[in-house]
Amino acid sequence: MFPPITLEILVLALGFILLLAESFSQSTSKRSLAKSAVFCLAWIFALSFFVTSAPANPEPGSFWNFYSADPVSMVFKRIALLTTMAVLVMALEYEKVLAKNIPSAREGAGTGEFFILPLFTCSGLMLLASAVDLVMAFAALELVTISFYVMVAYMRGSHASLEAGVKYLILGALSTGFFVYGITWIFGLTGETHFTKIALKLASLQGSDTAILFALVLVLVGLGFKVAAVPFQSWVPDVYQGAPTPVTAFLSVGSKAAGFLLLLRVLEPFLGVASIAHKILLVLSVLAGATLIFGNLAALPQNNLKRLLAYSSVGHAGYLLMAVACVGVAPSALGSVGATVGFYLFAYLLMTLLSFLVLTIATQHTKGEEIQHFNGLSKRSPFLAFALLVAMSSLAGVPLTAGFYGKFLVFAQAVNASQWTLIALGTVTVGAGFYFYLRVVAAMYWAEPADASPIQVSGLSKMIIVLLVAGIFVFGVNPKPVLSAFQTQQTPLASAH
Amino acid sequence: MFLLCFMKSDYLPILLQVLVAIGFACSALLVSLLLGKATRRNATKDTAYECGMIADEGPQPRFSVKFYLVAMLFILFDLEIVFMYPWAVIYKDAILEYGASIFWSMFSFVGILTLGYVYAVKKGALDWKS
Amino acid sequence: MNPLTLNHYLLASGLLFSLGFAGVMLRRNIITIFMCLELMLNAANLSLVAFSRFHVGADGLPNYNAQVLVFFIITVAAAEVAVGLAIIVALYRARQTTHVEDIQSLKF
Repeated sequence: MFPPITLEILVLALGFILLLAESFSQSTSKRSLAKSAVFCLAWIFALSFFVTSAPANPEPGSFWNFYSADPVSMVFKRIALLTTMAVLVMALEYEKVLAKNIPSAREGAGTGEFFILPLFTCSGLMLLASAVDLVMAFAALELVTISFYVMVAYMRGSHASLEAGVKYLILGALSTGFFVYGITWIFGLTGETHFTKIALKLASLQGSDTAILFALVLVLVGLGFKVAAVPFQSWVPDVYQGAPTPVTAFLSVGSKAAGFLLLLRVLEPFLGVASIAHKILLVLSVLAGATLIFGNLAALPQNNLKRLLAYSSVGHAGYLLMAVACVGVAPSALGSVGATVGFYLFAYLLMTLLSFLVLTIATQHTKGEEIQHFNGLSKRSPFLAFALLVAMSSLAGVPLTAGFYGKFLVFAQAVNASQWTLIALGTVTVGAGFYFYLRVVAAMYWAEPADASPIQVSGLSKMIIVLLVAGIFVFGVNPKPVLSAFQTQQTPLASAH
Repeated sequence: MFLLCFMKSDYLPILLQVLVAIGFACSALLVSLLLGKATRRNATKDTAYECGMIADEGPQPRFSVKFYLVAMLFILFDLEIVFMYPWAVIYKDAILEYGASIFWSMFSFVGILTLGYVYAVKKGALDWKS
Repeated sequence: MNPLTLNHYLLASGLLFSLGFAGVMLRRNIITIFMCLELMLNAANLSLVAFSRFHVGADGLPNYNAQVLVFFIITVAAAEVAVGLAIIVALYRARQTTHVEDIQSLKF
């Protein structure tokens, strides 16, 4: 048995070892680097079932004041590890495109870090899952964000990648600025940085509602950028399109999961303040409605698949925000909303990784990323076409898929909370979603391919695709295991109320 | 009201100096604008006068990009001192109370920095010649 | 008597933050925008230090938690600058420009 922090230390150590190995022998094959990273991450994933829990009542000043290892954060850590493994496999498929877009003297030089940086992002995500203190949460969030800056702009020879990098950099740093200023005000109001202590202090504050709302709005702006909520979504389409595809996949899953996790953690203390709780919920509902409408309607005319998935990512942020906006004023309601958000994120992760993995493989053989380039994919590779069919159906919300059950949970929450406007908007946008997701399917199955040469898929990718497809069906039919993993949430916060 | 708080006698000289500085700068600009006919210019007037070479380079000399690389690395490593400073201040008390863990935590921190340094050296970031 | 109260520091930091934000919105040079972003972070630092100084605990010492957070913000800002400048330099070498109007090859 190990203390839970061992996992993060191992991931970081793995990153450093690979980084040094890469710099000491420039000739090592980058493929073996990535493969050993995937292999070691699998071991760390296995180890995650053998960790002890963090002490319940840490002594003041000790590390455990910053870090909790409750079951939900362990689930998030495992998800981060699995996502990173899938992203590394995707990066292996992407290697040729990467080498082509990095000007260097030697073939493949300068591509090594592309397979190592995801490890640092992963450790940031894992730390973020466990952070119960604003300082820790901030440091972990920035570890994630800064490594993403590098990865987005990684292809130095591609104007699109550099441009995406600069846009993400500027808007990401802007969101950090707002987030930090919000943290500052939270600290100024309460004099605390620990979430539980903040909750206790906030509940006892009298007559400073405006200041509390000001602090929360600043934090919401900061996190709104990270989860791509309207009106802070302007970076999403450009960055998703320009970034290397594996990074886009990681960004859409990792950045969103990190943002929503932190959003729930930060909201919890504020919802305990009875006099402003309904205002917060109103703000969240407006954000959710705007995000739903924009994300789904702007996706309709898109022809570039990566851009389509970017708008779809905004749309899904809308459904997630819809669930968050259904948090009752009673703090006990947060548990079930947490489970809904957790399940939705998990389902979103499966289908997003699947679509980007298929996209990565297929675009090596098609001439571009437009939907028309996927014409007749079913004839070139029935396997890939079926995988993308499953991903798109799940994203649209076809029954029996994990995506459907996620949406079902969200709507159930909304019915419970009597959010009728959001339900109406949600229903309309789901309809719009069916149109643009199934357009891709129609192109794959009913259009003639321009070039009918078959597409080969490597063994490792095939395995991951099969696992993801199976996951979408298994958790769509029987969501219990995932749901119960998130429902064991009995954070110290909920019991403190 | 806000300004009034600063109107203590301690701050008066500073305020005066600021006023004088701003006043001088503004009046110098204004006078040259009024008397010097600075706005009237033509190509002949803009050339170097009689002697001296025509400049063939911009006013700012170009630095090698290496310079910026080294400067950035310096900032990154230099900044970590902020964590060592408070550590050094409480070291004596903390080692009595918590034992050697305070030593090892900083040791691992510096260790990670060293790894970063080794990486930078191996990648040739500090190599001036190439 | 100390004429400077917490509100003065907060006012100054609020001004810094607004200046930074206005700069990000209005300026057209990426390097300048980046400097304005740093200004926003430093505004947060200023108010954190002020909060720390004025949140005196029971033992008569300032609340040091905020100052620890300031250290983290400074470090993160430095890392962000290092990465950011590298990306901007790479963009400049590829495109010979640091103006936002010139950067729009990705369009709807």
